[in-house]
Amino acid sequence: MSSRDAGPAASRRRPPWLAVVGTLRFVVTLAVAAAMFLPFFWMFSSSLMTYQESIRVPPVWWPEVPQWHHYLEVLRDPRVPLGLYFKNSVIVSSAVTLLVLVTSSMAGYALTKLDFPGRDAIFRLFLATMMFPAFLFLVPVYYILKRMPLMGGNDILGLGGTGALQSHLALILPFAVSAWGIFLMRQFMMSVPDELVDAARIDGASELSIWSRIMLPLTRPALATIAIFTFIGQWNYLLWPLIVTTSAQHLATVPVGIRMMATAYSTALNAGKLQAATVMAIVPTIVLFLTMQRHYIRGFALTGFK
Amino acid sequence: MAGYLFLSPAILFYLVFLLFPVGLSVYISFTNWNMLAPLERARWVGFSNYTYLLTRDDMFIASLKNTLVYALGTVFIGMAIALGVALLINNVRGSALWRFLIFAPVVTPAIAVGRIWGGIYHPSQGYLNQLLRAVGLPPQQWLSSAELALPSIMATAIWAGVGATVIVFIAGLRNIPAQYYEAARIDGARPWHEFWHITLPLLRPTVLFLSVTGLISAWQVFDLVYSMALGGTESGTTPARAVMVVALYLYTTAFRSLRAGRATAGALILFVIIFGLTLILLRVLRRGGLEAYE
Repeated sequence: MSSRDAGPAASRRRPPWLAVVGTLRFVVTLAVAAAMFLPFFWMFSSSLMTYQESIRVPPVWWPEVPQWHHYLEVLRDPRVPLGLYFKNSVIVSSAVTLLVLVTSSMAGYALTKLDFPGRDAIFRLFLATMMFPAFLFLVPVYYILKRMPLMGGNDILGLGGTGALQSHLALILPFAVSAWGIFLMRQFMMSVPDELVDAARIDGASELSIWSRIMLPLTRPALATIAIFTFIGQWNYLLWPLIVTTSAQHLATVPVGIRMMATAYSTALNAGKLQAATVMAIVPTIVLFLTMQRHYIRGFALTGFK
Repeated sequence: MAGYLFLSPAILFYLVFLLFPVGLSVYISFTNWNMLAPLERARWVGFSNYTYLLTRDDMFIASLKNTLVYALGTVFIGMAIALGVALLINNVRGSALWRFLIFAPVVTPAIAVGRIWGGIYHPSQGYLNQLLRAVGLPPQQWLSSAELALPSIMATAIWAGVGATVIVFIAGLRNIPAQYYEAARIDGARPWHEFWHITLPLLRPTVLFLSVTGLISAWQVFDLVYSMALGGTESGTTPARAVMVVALYLYTTAFRSLRAGRATAGALILFVIIFGLTLILLRVLRRGGLEAYE
């Protein structure tokens, strides 16, 4: 508001209540900032506290001697294989992101630049699925993955083995298509002039090379937004990995790992180590967000929600 | 022809992992399948899963009520706070730092957010009760009393989600033409009048959009409640009835009690609720004359 006051009104004397409003605004801003920041600060500081410090009244804000060894002990603890959680999360999130980019941009191209019967009906069907709650799929998709033919010891009818349930595919395949991604690619590709595509066709370019050499480079901002949004969304996703890793613990991703660490460090004496483990588990997403925040925030502004 | 080829990867995954499962869900919801025996051998039980859930299952009914309270509370209180923060930080210096502060919880896995706040709410070691004691107030059972457990989780959900809502509001605020404010100021409008007569009416599409998307996702809340309350309900320190939300109920019913038929019926009831809610909201939006939502 203050920047707008530089109109004709500013030449008059500032009324005194404006100063009060300004101070009040500063105080509220500070309070909101503290509310957002303190929980993170508390998590970090308590990861460096001894057990005695963490239960002292009045509370200790910063430990007398920071217990950095909590971090080393967590990294060396075979009960909480952080490296494995990270590896699984990187594999799953990258693979899902790549698949979503390919399926979304191909579908977006077909839905905007190619003509065929039923095009709009198919698009509307994609959109309609955004309203289906995830819970509608959990049980049947679990069953479908278990019955995948010729995988995990299954026969050609999908019987006898564990199917895709014991591999990373169980965490990747169900998320390969995103209605939101298709929607966003379609919006972006509509702004690419049809003449450009027609000219390339006249020059004898195949549809595949028009898609890869013209459309993909021109829609790079949209691809980046979808990529970072999908990656962080998958990285943080708990429900499905939780279900799959009940019978396949070697597939645990970072969020499932955080849950398992809570069990491993359940005694109060381990509170510092548990906090250290949580800090290490969330640092990568925060760093990723910091480096890509422009694209990530655009994803929110464009769609409003995850 | 090329059109279908380009769509085929999307359609293939879509059929196998979205459309077919929905059909299978409907079938499973009419059986007593337990996830272990082959589905083909599951007994057909007709509508009994549905009638059981809706008439005899107190926990499911409680979960519907809790989810309704959770959804309305987090979405509307969250929006009010987010609008305040958006007005506060729109046009303010150091907006990069601001964006980071309010967005850090949004990108943090909800299970970690639950851990952070579980620690803050801890009855004996938590900061909140230590602070209460330090100023001479009685400590509270934040996550284990029947009255406070759900509100405590809701407060955390609002903290975690407010950043995303703020971003959408700021985008909405930037779309309001500056001339409106200039004209109002020439007419002698005060800031409060500007907010009430210009900002709020012109933000209505944003508010309605956030209501629809917010309510749809709030009805499916799982991670936060799972990480903050499930431990308490299992150890008996939290009354399950106070914190049970639909998603948590369905998860435990399907994957812990292995009653896949009943859980799938519950998922279909949830779908009908979300679908109905969305239709009602869309109708309200159209009556408001918002072509953008057609």
